[in-house]
Amino acid sequence: MTRLKTLLTSAALFAALGVTGAMAEVTVLGWPGGPEEAGLRKAADAYNATASDADKVKLIFFNRDGFFDKLAADLAAGSTDFDVNLLATYALGRYTPFMDPITLPDASKATFPEKVLATMQYDGKQYGIPTDLSLHFMYYRTDLIEKLLADADWKAKYGEISEKYLGKKLEPKDPDAWTWDDWMATALFFTKSINADSPTRYGTVLQMKNLLFNMMVWQSVARAQGGDWMNDKGEITVDSPAYRTALDIYKKLYDDGTSPKDSTTYEFAEANAAFGAGQAATMLQWNAAFGDLDNKDKTPAVAGKIGTVAPPAGPEGRFTHIHGLGLGINKASKNKDGAVKFLNWLGTPDAMVIYAKAGGSPALSDAVVAKVSTERPDLVKLGQYAGSYGFVMHGGTAAKALQVYELQAKEFTAYWSGGKSLDDALTATKSGMAELLKP
Amino acid sequence: MPRTSRFEGRLLIAPLTAFLIALLGFPLVLDIIYSVSRVGFENIRAPELIGFSNYAKAMADPEFWAAAWFSLRFGLIVAVIQVVAGLGLAVFLAPLFAKRPWLIALLMLPMMVAPALVGLMYRLILHEFVGAVPYYLLEWYGDFPAFLGRDWAFTTLVTIETLQWTPFALLILHSSYAAVSPDIREAASLDGARGRRLFVNIDLPLMMPAIGITFFLRFIDSFRVFDNLYTLVGPGAGGSTTSMSIYIYQAFFKVGDIGLAVAASMLLLAASFVVLWVINGLTARKAPL
Repeated sequence: MTRLKTLLTSAALFAALGVTGAMAEVTVLGWPGGPEEAGLRKAADAYNATASDADKVKLIFFNRDGFFDKLAADLAAGSTDFDVNLLATYALGRYTPFMDPITLPDASKATFPEKVLATMQYDGKQYGIPTDLSLHFMYYRTDLIEKLLADADWKAKYGEISEKYLGKKLEPKDPDAWTWDDWMATALFFTKSINADSPTRYGTVLQMKNLLFNMMVWQSVARAQGGDWMNDKGEITVDSPAYRTALDIYKKLYDDGTSPKDSTTYEFAEANAAFGAGQAATMLQWNAAFGDLDNKDKTPAVAGKIGTVAPPAGPEGRFTHIHGLGLGINKASKNKDGAVKFLNWLGTPDAMVIYAKAGGSPALSDAVVAKVSTERPDLVKLGQYAGSYGFVMHGGTAAKALQVYELQAKEFTAYWSGGKSLDDALTATKSGMAELLKP
Repeated sequence: MPRTSRFEGRLLIAPLTAFLIALLGFPLVLDIIYSVSRVGFENIRAPELIGFSNYAKAMADPEFWAAAWFSLRFGLIVAVIQVVAGLGLAVFLAPLFAKRPWLIALLMLPMMVAPALVGLMYRLILHEFVGAVPYYLLEWYGDFPAFLGRDWAFTTLVTIETLQWTPFALLILHSSYAAVSPDIREAASLDGARGRRLFVNIDLPLMMPAIGITFFLRFIDSFRVFDNLYTLVGPGAGGSTTSMSIYIYQAFFKVGDIGLAVAASMLLLAASFVVLWVINGLTARKAPL
């Protein structure tokens, strides 16, 4: 009897799946396994509640591992298994030959700031609706910085340390007014091996693993010095003084012991572990880290004592790397009308409010983010910083942009870890980039 | 052999032959085509033939040779340590194993863990803020090395590989040691051989085939190291821990240069074939003895 019930239940389940599949006319390939998936599921449910049967949306997800390579292979093969697919800023050039540009509805122009819409543009055309945005915050310990700004002894020591290690006497400042020099001085001050009175073992925690995403974190330093991948003539400019200064900032901080010894193997998780243990005073990190770090159950040592600001300023201004995830239309799709309808809806304020409340991280205009600011206060800063400080390197959306990041990761970590001279690392990077980014 | 028997023999072996052709032959042909093509994910179904330039590119790439040297060095060092340690344990623990054979099963446990998980486990154990090893070293000595940093990564990897796979060497060498006839040992003892002399002149020569096979198996396994290395440190700062497997993986999945990746793997296949051919030749020559 039990077996019969199991069989009947299974049959009913398969039948239900079959019906769902038959009803779905627009297949959407989304970013799997995170808040983006949760957000997209809620948004799709809301859309399907009012859409006609022919326009209903069905969601599919790959595994994250190797996602972009699998997607590239499918798009290139003319797969019709999905009508709408994920896009990422740093892979736009790779996918756009196999995708259709879209015409933005007026509603989406009111939903997203211009710089955010630009994360889905390539060759002057819009290829997707930007659903999620990633950028960087400078995280700092509010309790420590408050004391530093108020305590006369700490201020005097701060001046001594900055003079000794940076060659100029600096005074503590509010993190929102930091230059990169101020950040370095703060990191040096809060390093136990330099300042025995420091309550933390390290002043910062650097992500220096040979990993492309770490280059995205670091390159805000380079951009603030005036660095860019290419100039307007298409010449590679990574051997500029700006890049040298930015690379030396990390090198000096690492060599002076302001970051853990194993920092050359650190990425997102390891850096969060160091900061979350209460043993690093500052950290340049992705915005996505905030939720867990400020959670009293997950990181009791620092939760409630974390401040976030945009990355510090350099001679050329204040910048944060941004990249977006979004959804666009597969050129081989057999239901482009349905896909357009869904994307037009997804770009509306109402859809993005649903998406944000369910966990997504869209960068929204002031008017729209006000509707979710109670539930998602982090999205307020996300939109502001993206609009004010966001940048994409010249060439950062090229077909081989990811390979450029891979190359930089290999060469720059070689310099930071002492395996190569700065000149050798930059020469290799420049020649490799020239090959990867040639028209 | 009668004609019908020959036919039956061929008929019986046909499914296995077809299976091998499908399983090994097809990928090999595909690899050969890719290795002489310009091919990436975008044109993976329509590769463009370009001759042998992928092979030339791999051979001219210093990182290819650095990766080959890393794998060779790692494979040799790890295999030697494991065989020596396995042999030592097999001999010294033999009386204990004779009384309590279940101890062998206990010592085999590290092999049950997937190498990728071993890498992740040590990534946690050696992490300064969540790991036990740096914590206690800091408590006791006030400092600890950067286990995964550029200077220490190789040593750490050798240690981890040794800890996980020495039980494999122990298992084979224990069986081999236990298989040496007590009669031979007794005869040698009557002739006055004792202790080290007995081991060097009697046990060791009889165990040599097993030692050779163990070394060879461990070398092959360590040479192609990927899982634990990748999860622990990846290609390393500046590519300092790039093994041949990681070189091929990077070229294929990260750089998207599938032609180069496959050409590198074909060169590795050719090198492996030469080694196997030499070993086969040596074995065949010794067989009549």
